Amino acid sequence: MKDLIKSYGDTKAADGLSLTVKDGEYICILGPTGAGKTTCLRMICGLTKQDSGEITFDGKPMDKVPISERRTTMLSQVYSLFPPMTVYENVMFSPSIKDWPEEESKQLVKSMIKMVHMDQKVQQYPHELSGGQQQRTALARALASDSKVLLLDEPLRALDARLRLELRKELKSMAKEMGLTSIHVTHDQDEALEMADRIAIIRQGRIVQIGTPMEVFQNPATPFVANFVGRSNIFVGKVGTSDETGTEVILPDGTKVRSRHTDLSEGEDAVVAVKIGSTRIEHIPVPTEEVPDPLMPEGYFEAVIERILYEGATITVEMSSSAIELVTCKLPNRKFDDFSVGDRVMVSWAPDKATLFRIPECGIVEELRLD
Amino acid sequence: MATKIELDGISMKFGDFYAVRNISLKVEEGEYITILGPSGCGKTTLIKVIAGIWRPTEGRVLVDGQDVTDVPIEDRDTGYVFQNIALFPNMDLMENVGYSPRVKDMPKDVTESVSTEYLELVKMLDRAGMFPGELSGGEQQKVAIARALASGSKMLMLDEPLSALDARVRVELRYDIRRLVKKLGITVLHVTHDQEEAMSVSDRIVLMRAGGIHESGSPLEMYREPKSIFAAYFIGETNLLECTVTDKSRTGKTTVRLRGGKSVKAARSELEEGDAAVISVRPERVYTATEGLKAKVLSVVFMGTYWRVRTVTETKDYVDYNISTDKVTPEIGSKVYLVFNKKATKVFKRPEKGLAEAIRLE
Amino acid sequence: MSLFKKINAISDNDKVRKAWFGLAVAVFVCLIIVPSIFVVTKLLTEWGVVSDTLGNSEIMSLIYGAVGNSFSIAFIVTIIDIIVGIPMAWIFVRKNFKGKKYLDTLMDMPLAFPTAVLGISVVIFWGVPADGVTIPGLGLVVSPYMMMIMLHIIFTYPYMVRSLSAILEQIEPNYETAAMTLGASRFTAVRTITLPLFRAGLVTGFILCFARSLSETGGTYIALTLMGDETTFFTGPTFIAFMKEMDPSVALGPMIVISVIMIVLALILLLLVKRIMIRIKLPVIKVWPSIGRKLSNGIAPKLKDIVSIGFLMLVVLLPAFYIFAYLTQPILNIDYGQLLSSTGMSFLVAGVAVVFDIIFGIPVALYIARHRHTKMGQLLDNLVNIPLIIPTTALGFSLALFWGSLGTGGIISVILVILGHISFTYPLVVRNITGAVEEVDPSYEEVAMTLGAKPLQAFSKVLMPIIKSSIIAGAILAFTRSLGETGATIAITSDVNTVPVYITELISSGSYSEAAICSIILILICFVFMFAVRAVTHRGDKSA
Repeated sequence: MKDLIKSYGDTKAADGLSLTVKDGEYICILGPTGAGKTTCLRMICGLTKQDSGEITFDGKPMDKVPISERRTTMLSQVYSLFPPMTVYENVMFSPSIKDWPEEESKQLVKSMIKMVHMDQKVQQYPHELSGGQQQRTALARALASDSKVLLLDEPLRALDARLRLELRKELKSMAKEMGLTSIHVTHDQDEALEMADRIAIIRQGRIVQIGTPMEVFQNPATPFVANFVGRSNIFVGKVGTSDETGTEVILPDGTKVRSRHTDLSEGEDAVVAVKIGSTRIEHIPVPTEEVPDPLMPEGYFEAVIERILYEGATITVEMSSSAIELVTCKLPNRKFDDFSVGDRVMVSWAPDKATLFRIPECGIVEELRLD
Repeated sequence: MATKIELDGISMKFGDFYAVRNISLKVEEGEYITILGPSGCGKTTLIKVIAGIWRPTEGRVLVDGQDVTDVPIEDRDTGYVFQNIALFPNMDLMENVGYSPRVKDMPKDVTESVSTEYLELVKMLDRAGMFPGELSGGEQQKVAIARALASGSKMLMLDEPLSALDARVRVELRYDIRRLVKKLGITVLHVTHDQEEAMSVSDRIVLMRAGGIHESGSPLEMYREPKSIFAAYFIGETNLLECTVTDKSRTGKTTVRLRGGKSVKAARSELEEGDAAVISVRPERVYTATEGLKAKVLSVVFMGTYWRVRTVTETKDYVDYNISTDKVTPEIGSKVYLVFNKKATKVFKRPEKGLAEAIRLE
Repeated sequence: MSLFKKINAISDNDKVRKAWFGLAVAVFVCLIIVPSIFVVTKLLTEWGVVSDTLGNSEIMSLIYGAVGNSFSIAFIVTIIDIIVGIPMAWIFVRKNFKGKKYLDTLMDMPLAFPTAVLGISVVIFWGVPADGVTIPGLGLVVSPYMMMIMLHIIFTYPYMVRSLSAILEQIEPNYETAAMTLGASRFTAVRTITLPLFRAGLVTGFILCFARSLSETGGTYIALTLMGDETTFFTGPTFIAFMKEMDPSVALGPMIVISVIMIVLALILLLLVKRIMIRIKLPVIKVWPSIGRKLSNGIAPKLKDIVSIGFLMLVVLLPAFYIFAYLTQPILNIDYGQLLSSTGMSFLVAGVAVVFDIIFGIPVALYIARHRHTKMGQLLDNLVNIPLIIPTTALGFSLALFWGSLGTGGIISVILVILGHISFTYPLVVRNITGAVEEVDPSYEEVAMTLGAKPLQAFSKVLMPIIKSSIIAGAILAFTRSLGETGATIAITSDVNTVPVYITELISSGSYSEAAICSIILILICFVFMFAVRAVTHRGDKSA
């Protein structure tokens, strides 16, 4: 996709969208609602025509190719199983439409239904199936269509949280097994992290960053990405001096913290982002006889614990400090007994875990908006 | 703390079908309770009964000690927030939030000051003149909560309030909601199917399944000491392995033998030697060592704050474990030796109908 | 099936689809719209005759009187329908009780009665029996004006209730529940939240009822004849029918004038109603909590339901069915040959009309349904409504003028009558199909196309099976409507004898018993079709 533009009245659903998808890869397009994810998929399969820009498959331009010949099939959160047809007839739809030989079609349909574990329910109608069963049937129908590209439009959104976890694994393994190129659109970062070979972050109609889950998580390109893929502590400071270990950042109240190397020049205002999972806290060392005046190493600042939330495998600790109003940190659950509300702690992070950004033109609040 | 809400033997029948059966529950004043369970377990039915939207087929509802089972909705004084938001589309935000004082025939200035106060609390005052259709899902839901609270009610029923919202928005909004209701001292019943949501905001979780209360406790209790396989599986993630009890120490510590003969030490249990069992150990309690349960690495997935390693053991069980992102990850296909934290390995009786049936969600 | 394959392959081409659609629109405009409003141009071309009429104060006062009666009756009837229709719509959509299915069937019954028949039935029920009528009546209603109101209520009532129900179904019931959790009694919740959202449904219901009442000819004429008032009391359509019997040179002027007046007023109404409805301020600010409570609990709601159902039974159904009382009378000689040929003619006209409607209506309906928000879609939507608004008698007259140069008699007359019936059934079929298609998620066809289906395949294999039962139901309703139409047929020509026309003749000649028996037979035929509709839609409901 190159420089796609699509407007609906005053809104731009695609605003210079460019993306290259590799053969056989499972790519996730991650972004908030309204970012243009569905429009992107619809342009790929031909249901929506772009105002300008080019879409090519294997180098061939697609604008003259009708929907039925693109061999891209779509799976959405409403499943769209044909109501008057049984599971079998739904999955058989594509082979029968394309007029394939009967015996082979039957074999293909049977094996697809078996692969999604719906062989016990072949004669049932969509309204008799549960959400998860409908989605699996829709998948079988898509797989039986001899498509080369699988487009997934938030396919798991309508399902219960627990069920989503189960289906994520099934979905990806089946797509890979069939050798399909998959473009999966979602707002759920956990889903993207778990399923994607590469993640493309989309916002306001364009791709903001693309990379492996690890790259996008650890090296965000903008403050938005830093906070959208994994929560981050975000605050503003002035760029200070740099050395081999990193860069110094001076907060409004004078506290100095550390971040990784940056292109920004000294004295410039910058946005600092640190993942809450990388934020560390420790109790302030109590003065003892041997060490009556323990040094507070550089890059630490003090905070008071306001709230501790036990969330299962992890705990979330919310703190307030004079340097930054609200600081959050995520710790493994074995640390739960180490801290209490009201404790004074030292907050720090490894320099390379903090990223510096230029102050965004639209302002920080607008940059970080999630919806 | 006084008991604010009590359900006594509540059943709700539709034709021959019991949506909930014989439920009894006590909610303290100011408590934040999450009613958690898979779709169809009856959780929404419960809060509808408390709010008076449905009249129970059997049982009583008591508020502040008074039997309110026959009191109509409009006199129950229970705030209710719907899953699909239900802000009145033909009124602006100010009028929406002011609806309750207005229909209670409050003087105009009181209505206005109440609306202003609650819109301010949810930080939507600057948009007071806009209409619901112009807002995002998260913003609409905040206004819906303000509207429910502006009625002066001290109880709030939240009917899957975050399910329709983006994942990222959910995370922010659930903390905002908790902060707000705790500040105002509201008693909350929050219905959801998302265990992560339940864990992060509740004082107490009530886990429901098939019309009944399966288990309840604080997030910590439910996570660390689940009393059933379903609870262990539904709340948080866990590895479940079928086994047989081979030995019990005097203090109750159990040793089990997995399929294929490998022995594993587990926590205290009530089971006896020879009992068919299932052990449950969470991924963060599984470690690699130089010897232990042999397993082959199937996949290594980056999950942000950790790597999730999926393996299949020599006993043909699937076991997931976590590695910190600073550490080196094993190669796919390589062999690792797994060790389980003894105390964290819970032993349960193997269900008669089989493990798959015990954890089935649909 | 290679022809189908060829059509299939061609349909993938954007241009071809546009051409087929264009053809359907062209046919619609040329055969239906233009002839329908042709009479307005005649106003100018025949100015001589027209100005004579305008100068004749006697004729003009008759015309004003007739138009005034038509519009005022229509207005009163519609208002009554709204008042009793709202609670009935509530019962339908929000309440569940045993026997609701029967209520549903009863609601549609008035539509199965040809209005000509209702004319007889209403008079013998409410009025004083004329000489020759052997069934006793209540004798409560003697003025022709009141009688027309009682008659028109019967066949407009179902339209109102159905329109209101359709809108009410779409209004989220949680709004009321939310309002009640906030402390509002149900009465207050409905008044402040649901009713304001209702306006769209009211507009549709208003237009349908009003138009139906304006159009009605056969029943009105027959009722007036039975009361002996057919030369002293006129509505617009009966005046046109009356004039048709006269010498063409005398009748042309008045017929043109009254037709144009009725068409123009009806069109203005169509434009204004939407605007007015949106402006009307309903009392939503003031709250009366204690009254609200009294009205919401206890007897008041039950009373409201009883009155609603009582109205349906006593004012709508009982008078309609009263004609069956004639079965108690000895059956005199009936000209079965004539009846049979009339029935054949009615079936022919209705059948051809409906088939035409479906073939040329589907592309237009599909377009409107999927392009609701474009200018073209809205324009088409309004155009389709025009033949619905124009009183069918005026429409028939206009049509006859338009095609008149082709000559009269024989096949031509039949074709003209068919064209006339096409005109007022086309909107019914298109609206029905549009409604059905709008209910269907476009994602079904979209998915089908990504699975390899060409547009025609997506339509025939995916959309059609889902809306099939709605199409058939719409077709049967249109068929029944055509069976019952009198005015348009008479206005076009006196040669074509459909059953309602035959019944009208029988009444005019005083053969009341024969008219009644023929009516009963016609009703039974329509009932059969009615039940067929229900059977088809219920089977359709199971799979969709």
